Amino acid sequence: MSAVGRVVVVGSGMAATRLVEELVARGAGADVVVLGDEPHAPYNRILLSAVLEGTHPASALTLREPRWYAEHGVDLRLGARVLGVDRERRDVMLVDGTVVPYDRLVLATGSIPSLPPIRGLVRLDGRLRERVHAFRSLDDCTRLMGALTSLGVPDPCGLVTNRTSGGREPAVCDQTARLKPARAVVVGGGLLGLQVARALSVRGLDTEIVEGGEHLLRSQVGSPAGQVLARDLRRLGTTVYTGARAVRLTDLPADTGTDTDTGGVGLRLDNGYTLETDLVVLTAGGRPSTALARGAGLEVRRGVVVDEHLACVTDPDVHALGDCAEHAGRTTGFVAPAWEQAALLAHHLTAPSTALTYTGSRTVARLRATGLDVAVLGDPERATADGGDVVEVTNPVVGSHRKLVVRDGVIVAATLVGDLSRIGLITQYFDHGTRLAGTEPGQLLMGDRTAPPSRLADDAEICACAGVSAGRIRACASLDEARDTTRATTGCGGCASAVRELLATRPALSGTT
Amino acid sequence: MTHTHCPYCSLQCGMSLERTGRATLEVRAWPDFPVNEGALCRKGWTAAGLRGSRERLTSPLVRDRASGELRTASWDEALDLVAGRLLALRESHGPDSVAVFGGGGLTNEKAYQLGKLARVAVGTSQIDYNGRWCMSSAASAANQAFGIDRGLPFPLADVEQTDVLVLVGSNLAETMPPAARHLDRLRERGGHVVVVDPRRTATAERADTFLQPVPGTDLALALGLLHLVVALGGVDEEYVAARTTGFDAVRRAVAAWWPERVERVTGVPASELRALAGLLVGADKVTVLTARGAEQHAQGTDTVLAWVNLTLALGMPGRASAGYGCLTGQGNGQGGREHGQKADQLPGYRMIDDPAAREHVARVWGLPAASLPGAGRSAYELLDSLGTDGGARALLVFGSNIVVSAPNATHVTRRLEALDLLVVADLVLSETAAMADVVLPVTQWAEETGTMTNLEGRVVLRERAVAPPDGVWTDLEVMAGLASRLGSPVDFSADAEEVFAELGRASAGGRADYAGITYDRIREEHGVFWPCPSAEHPGTPRLFADSFATPDGRARCVAVEHRGPAEVVCADYPVHLTTGRVLAQYQSGAQTRRIRDLPDDGPFVELHPMLADRIGAHDGDLVVVTTRRGELKAPARVVSTIRPDTVFVPFHWVGANRLTHDALDPSSRMPEFKACAAAVRT
Repeated sequence: MSAVGRVVVVGSGMAATRLVEELVARGAGADVVVLGDEPHAPYNRILLSAVLEGTHPASALTLREPRWYAEHGVDLRLGARVLGVDRERRDVMLVDGTVVPYDRLVLATGSIPSLPPIRGLVRLDGRLRERVHAFRSLDDCTRLMGALTSLGVPDPCGLVTNRTSGGREPAVCDQTARLKPARAVVVGGGLLGLQVARALSVRGLDTEIVEGGEHLLRSQVGSPAGQVLARDLRRLGTTVYTGARAVRLTDLPADTGTDTDTGGVGLRLDNGYTLETDLVVLTAGGRPSTALARGAGLEVRRGVVVDEHLACVTDPDVHALGDCAEHAGRTTGFVAPAWEQAALLAHHLTAPSTALTYTGSRTVARLRATGLDVAVLGDPERATADGGDVVEVTNPVVGSHRKLVVRDGVIVAATLVGDLSRIGLITQYFDHGTRLAGTEPGQLLMGDRTAPPSRLADDAEICACAGVSAGRIRACASLDEARDTTRATTGCGGCASAVRELLATRPALSGTT
Repeated sequence: MTHTHCPYCSLQCGMSLERTGRATLEVRAWPDFPVNEGALCRKGWTAAGLRGSRERLTSPLVRDRASGELRTASWDEALDLVAGRLLALRESHGPDSVAVFGGGGLTNEKAYQLGKLARVAVGTSQIDYNGRWCMSSAASAANQAFGIDRGLPFPLADVEQTDVLVLVGSNLAETMPPAARHLDRLRERGGHVVVVDPRRTATAERADTFLQPVPGTDLALALGLLHLVVALGGVDEEYVAARTTGFDAVRRAVAAWWPERVERVTGVPASELRALAGLLVGADKVTVLTARGAEQHAQGTDTVLAWVNLTLALGMPGRASAGYGCLTGQGNGQGGREHGQKADQLPGYRMIDDPAAREHVARVWGLPAASLPGAGRSAYELLDSLGTDGGARALLVFGSNIVVSAPNATHVTRRLEALDLLVVADLVLSETAAMADVVLPVTQWAEETGTMTNLEGRVVLRERAVAPPDGVWTDLEVMAGLASRLGSPVDFSADAEEVFAELGRASAGGRADYAGITYDRIREEHGVFWPCPSAEHPGTPRLFADSFATPDGRARCVAVEHRGPAEVVCADYPVHLTTGRVLAQYQSGAQTRRIRDLPDDGPFVELHPMLADRIGAHDGDLVVVTTRRGELKAPARVVSTIRPDTVFVPFHWVGANRLTHDALDPSSRMPEFKACAAAVRT
């Protein structure tokens, strides 16, 4: 049971969904109302770029069906846009005039994509013009996929058809359907931009990236990593423009020389270049969605300001979590912290305790894009600036850059590009704050040494099942003798080839010819 | 020459015993027995090494009140003493003041008789056994998913015909070496072997694909694989629709386990997950086998369910040479959990709280059903309650060396010390027997007859090859002697074949139905697979071809979530500790450590060179492993085959389980042997 009465959650994204799951697990489902402004059942936003790429089916995005909410007594309202919050009356009003009273209000409104200052992006009615796409919601993804279809881009390949008892046939991918590939420009070279660019490229589009900063992933990594990435992308056929800002979007004249007039657009950069393209996708970052909180008079800086119990500093009956929340001067934008906050908040809403506090999260940003290997642990640039010791290896020949930032033996941040072979260990050390010896960070970035093969010593064990050494095998004249006298090869049989080898290479006994 | 089976693991390799002297036996190959085709590991070859050993007990021992030492006693004196004390306790504190603890190495006849002894002669509900610490998580999961718990629902040799074999937390090349021959044949056929283990074991060396997760994260790994199978369109929708229920909830649950999240939790790179998922989706026949590495966790049941879900999504269980199975550990781990030594069960895998089951078994025993007690405590909880208010004050132990094999062993040993009376039946003076007030010397495998049920559900016959030493009784004789002294209302036979026939009647109609199995059939058919309800029934080598053992015949997909180990590594205890076996030893080592031809090097601490560098240890140096529960000092074994954030200690010696955690699985009550937080130093 909720200890605090009726909990109204504004938002139905990944943070909100996890919060509701945690509340249901604690038996408080019947006290919860969820107001989601999207019309869809809560889904996994993380995987939208995989859907675009064709490596994840849109049908497998749903996290919880509406039926699940009903079964647990949760009042889920989809397509319910909140107009305002009245903290005096403790209720929220929806755009259709419905009033929903609350005892505790949770803002899980997420973030909204920032629109870069490009003239000509927006139509008179305030919506994005045709050929310009945002990429934040399932609707954005669906609209973009629709645009690809109307450009003649074939449906994604790579998904096998459903398994049947007779086996499967892989889908055939016909990239020749269109003579000249469609073109796309992705504005923004951050994590999302790279994922979307790779997805479009995998789908067969001629893709370019425009990044205003000096290198890719500039809010996560330093310039060497960004440069390795740009090189990888070029190798994969994607052109990268860094240090260039898009300033204006124009219609192309009908006679631009293309075979069929696709009615493309021109994206003008501040260096004077104009990129001709069929699509523009805006991935220039997002900002916390705080309009509701502002309207309600809650303290908002970059995000809705919350304390260590995830309560708004202005009103303890209002909470915020996930992308829209700001704790200790930071907003995150990742799922893992949002889920940690959800678990903690569910605890406070059902069994209030001042002891349990939120102290921030360790973030691991992982690029999900075919052909690009990137992981960013923590904030490597800030950790470097704060005086952490840096251990790094750059290998431009193979296209890798790896950097560990170490403080008092603990990996506090890391950048791994192009070589994720040790990520399964480095992430564990980072997450657990494991204190390493001085040599370890270096060892983590070097390959394993392999010992050269050498002649087996006589006391080396050859047959573990029977406990037989190489010397005892060498003393036998034949495989049969070895089997009968030592019982080598009579257990798991794994040593048979080694025994044969030893018998074949044993020194000839003196006196025999 | 006598055909019998190895006394150790669940493979129950066939072997022949030849008498080479008055008291000595020689082990010979028995090539006709299909499971091992004459192969044995060194444990099997040397199994006769305890014959004639000075370590064998040949007289009952009773702790002398004056000196506190064990002294020899006659059987009458020892059994009278035990019965007298038990009767007095029952009188003063009720029947639950006496507890019984069995083992997964006991024959079916002994396991059955032990359950009957507890519930009829003593009248206690407090009986459980060390199998609770072995396969119980897989058992619980299989019952939920398939409605029946038989470790392998097919003969082991079927794995040779699968396309992809995934071994999760099994090191069978060391724990049951002859079984590894099947892996080699599978690979010769062009099949693919996948091993999932925090250590690159001897088994992993034989694999085509090796994944090395953090201990305690196999569940997340399975969720991540199913996520990818769904994403790749690899779900066998026809099968799922026709043969399962509950898959929608599972599909939703794995939507939240994308590869990069799984990578962070498990330490397995997302690229390796994707490669394995692609392999699974592309294969016609997939077999997943779990063992203790996946199961001995506080989320062991859910871990198995997650892997079962993966096989169900792929449409495998019930298909030829495909599906899910558990590689049982102990020699009679399978049969031992079917016939009534489990706290909540009656013979035939009947549940003790099922009125019809009570009625049936009581009728076979010639008693009113109301006289049978209800469910008791699970193994660890039973031991944890010893000598406390409401806990038992006397404990009878058959076939278990609790002091070595219980988790959080220091605490458990203290509970044993708190007892009024500890009685141990064993063939040697094990660490647990050494604490007992009364020790009863019993036969070893070559000296007795009885049946074992191997990991395939094949009931095999252990035949007596030689007379026991003078002064040694069979466990059945001990139980009969105790039952009569306790004034049991019904007789207890000491004849194994008679007991087996009674077991058959008691199991008739139950899930594990042995009614049609006889000793002669076992001899003629190289074992009989249960269920075998009648003499005409051929036995059931393969389950699930047409339906599952659930009321509606469909398998259950149970949505599960990863919670992680109960104890998380931290600054003070920064490495994961996991435990396991070595080839030359078996379980608590009570037998194998006393066999001269098996090397007994004592425990060791396996760690990675990077971790060894961190603490300044070299191979062979003494290092100290500590957890919140205890400490172990042992030589370092520095190997690059283990995860650098993990240490491994074998559990055959006192020490390893002083370190392990006693968090229990909510459904199977399995302790978390395989993952806890530890510190290691020189």
